[in-house]
Parts: sequence; C-alpha cells; structure tokens
Amino acid sequence: MTVPGNEAELLTRVVSGDREAFDAVMRNHQDRVFSVCLRILGDREKALDATQDTFLTVFRKAGQFQGRSAVGTWIYRITVNTCYDQLRRAQRRPSESLPDHLDPSDPAAEEAMESAALRPEIEVALAQLPGDFRNAVVLSDLEGMSLPEVAEILGVPIGTVKSRVFRGRRLLAKHLGNQIDQ
Amino acid sequence: MHEHPLDLIAAFADGSLSDEAEARALIETCQECRAEYLAQTEVIAWLAAAPAVEMTDLEKASLHRDLWTELRNEPARRSATPWWQRLSYVAAGLFVTIGLVGVLNSGVLGGGAESAATTTAAAQGFDEAPAEEVPFFAEGSDGGESAPEMTTDTTAAATATTAAGAGEDSLTLPFAELADEARARQNDRVVAESTDADFEECLTRVGLDDHVVVDEIDFEQTYLLVMRKDPEAERVVTFVVLPACEVVYVG
Repeated sequence: MTVPGNEAELLTRVVSGDREAFDAVMRNHQDRVFSVCLRILGDREKALDATQDTFLTVFRKAGQFQGRSAVGTWIYRITVNTCYDQLRRAQRRPSESLPDHLDPSDPAAEEAMESAALRPEIEVALAQLPGDFRNAVVLSDLEGMSLPEVAEILGVPIGTVKSRVFRGRRLLAKHLGNQIDQ
Repeated sequence: MHEHPLDLIAAFADGSLSDEAEARALIETCQECRAEYLAQTEVIAWLAAAPAVEMTDLEKASLHRDLWTELRNEPARRSATPWWQRLSYVAAGLFVTIGLVGVLNSGVLGGGAESAATTTAAAQGFDEAPAEEVPFFAEGSDGGESAPEMTTDTTAAATATTAAGAGEDSLTLPFAELADEARARQNDRVVAESTDADFEECLTRVGLDDHVVVDEIDFEQTYLLVMRKDPEAERVVTFVVLPACEVVYVG
C-alpha cells in the first residue's frame, strides 16, 4: 500500500535522478496506468506504448509536481492526456495505425488479454462513446475512482464528471440494446 | 427526460445519494424513471464485473527496459529542472551581464553606452553586423571580466547587478520583465537544436561565431551568454545558448 506522503518524497528523489525511486513509483502505478490506457484506447499494444509515454512524462516532469494532489492523481491525469494525444495522432494519421498484434514471444499476453477482456458487446459500446464520456466512465466505473478524483484527473468540475458518467452509462445501455426514451 | 431526474436516478443507481427518498418515489411512480434506473444499474454491474487488467511479467520487463533506454539517451539532467526555472536562471544571468555591459560601456569605454532597456527592445539587424565589432568585447571576455559569481538566488543576483551599475537606468529593469522577455523569445527564436553539439559548434551553426562570448555561467546547468554590439544601431544584442544547442535571441 502506498502512502501519498511517501510517494511525494519518491518523486522528489526522482527529480534528483534516483532510479530506484522512479522504479518504485512505476511499480506502484504501472498496472493501473496500463489498465486506464487499455480501457481508453482499446488495444493492448497501443496501451503499452501509452503506458511507456506516460512514465516518460512522469520522469521528465517530476520536478513540476507541486503536491496539490496525490501523486497517483497527477500520474493518472498524465495518463489520460497521453491517451488523448495518442487518439489525436491516430485521427490525424489514420493510415499509420499502430500494430494490432501481440508479442509472439509472450503467450501470457494473449491469455491476459482474454481474461481481462470486457464482454465484447460492452467493449464495442465503450469504444463508440464520445471520448469525454468514455474517459469518465472508465475512470469511475471500471477503475473505481471517486468522482472528486476523476474530476481532478480530467480537470473538470465534479458536476461535469457526474453528467459525463451518467450520460455515458445511458449511452452504453442504449448501445447495448436497452433503449431509453430521451 | 429532464437532466434533474437523470442525475438523481443515476446517483441512486450507483449508491451515491445520501437521501434516497425522492429517487425511490420517482422510480415507483414514473415508468421512464424506472427504465433509466434499470439501465444504469445494469451497466454499472457489467462494468464492475470486468476483470482487473494487468501487464504480463514480460511486458513489465520490456516497459522498464525501453523506458530506461529512452531516458539514458536524453541529455544528462535535462529533465531535472523545470523549464521556467531554467529560464529564470538564464534571466538572472542575463540581468547581471547587462549590468556588466553597462559598466563596460560607461566606465571602461568612457560613456556612450546604450541602456539595457534599449538592449532588450532591439530586435533587428544582428545578422548583418560585421565581424570587426568583435574586439569591442574581446578584452572583457578573454581578460577575465566575467560577470559576478551567480547563485540561484535571483533576488541576490538582481541586487548585485544594481550595485554593480549604480546610477544606470539600464540596471533598473524589473527582473520579471526580463524573464518574460526570455520566455517569449524562446518560443520563436530557437534557431538550432542538437543534443551533442558544444557551444562553439552551436554558434558556428547559426552564424553567431563572430559574436563575443561575454560569459559562461554554470548554475545547475551551463548557459552561455553571447553578446555583441551592433555598429549601426549602437546597441548590444544578446543571445543565450542553452544546453542541447538551443540558441535563443533575447534582445
């Protein structure tokens, strides 16, 4: 279990180039960062790339962390922004889509992907949500984060997060065949 | 359905309401509200049942390997100091250097110095300035007329500068203005970039090799302050060379 105060101290050590401290920060957050990336991007390879980009940014910007939020919240905010950037790049250059294959030397990845997969129809419905709604639903309902935390990560008021989550769920239900009268 | 019932019913569905009475009443009396409630709870249950996502051991190992490979290829310690902090060091150094130039112009050269206010406003014509002007500052550079030793305390730096050039208008520019100037200029005046070039090579590459290095200041990182006097306009132009060969025209 990570204590926020200790995490801030770890980041301070990262600023001075402490590799062990950075490894510790990564160990604490890598699975959740990867999970958020995978749920938002919907592709394991892209999620791995985004996870790497996220931690590169964390390392480079560790000196800018001002302690106004928990370290985790700061990292997940970087995570979501990294995913936004990747989606934007993919939209600008649709022909340069990232490889959609798994590492052939890692059969465990395929197994992990299958065991962690959402029901296919939910995954499709999630992918069809507008980005803002999808991110709010992923962080809130899939990652189990509190609404204030999601608001801080997304940089929007709590009321906006609520609205996005509620409307996102409604759209998911609609996509999944539960028609709700508007 | 209006937004108020959606907020109320969705919050009821995920259990975040403190007072559920109104929502319960709505669900019992309004068919539309009940359908919304069922849809929300169903989606919440589906999403909550999703298994946790983790990287495999191999993926984690690859992530760590690739990350450190990438970070090792970056210039040393470049990420350790935020850009605004680095620029504040540059601005502090520049402030001191402008003070030095003021002293050189008024004392060593017998007056006729341009003010630093003029200096920072100068923005044209430095490319055409002939190399003959180089000796203007050569003595100051080679003869050890370096700027006062800098610390990262910018207030102290500004104070030292003011003391060095007492009576000169050029030395009363607010520090924040200089920092803003440097920051603004950096966006559009970075004229060369390379990760492994030394300062001399940088200057040559961007045609500044006929300018005079006034000082090299090492705070947390090394910055090269390059200045020359424009013979046409009787003014000093200033550049700052940052690590990785970013040459910034300051004014």
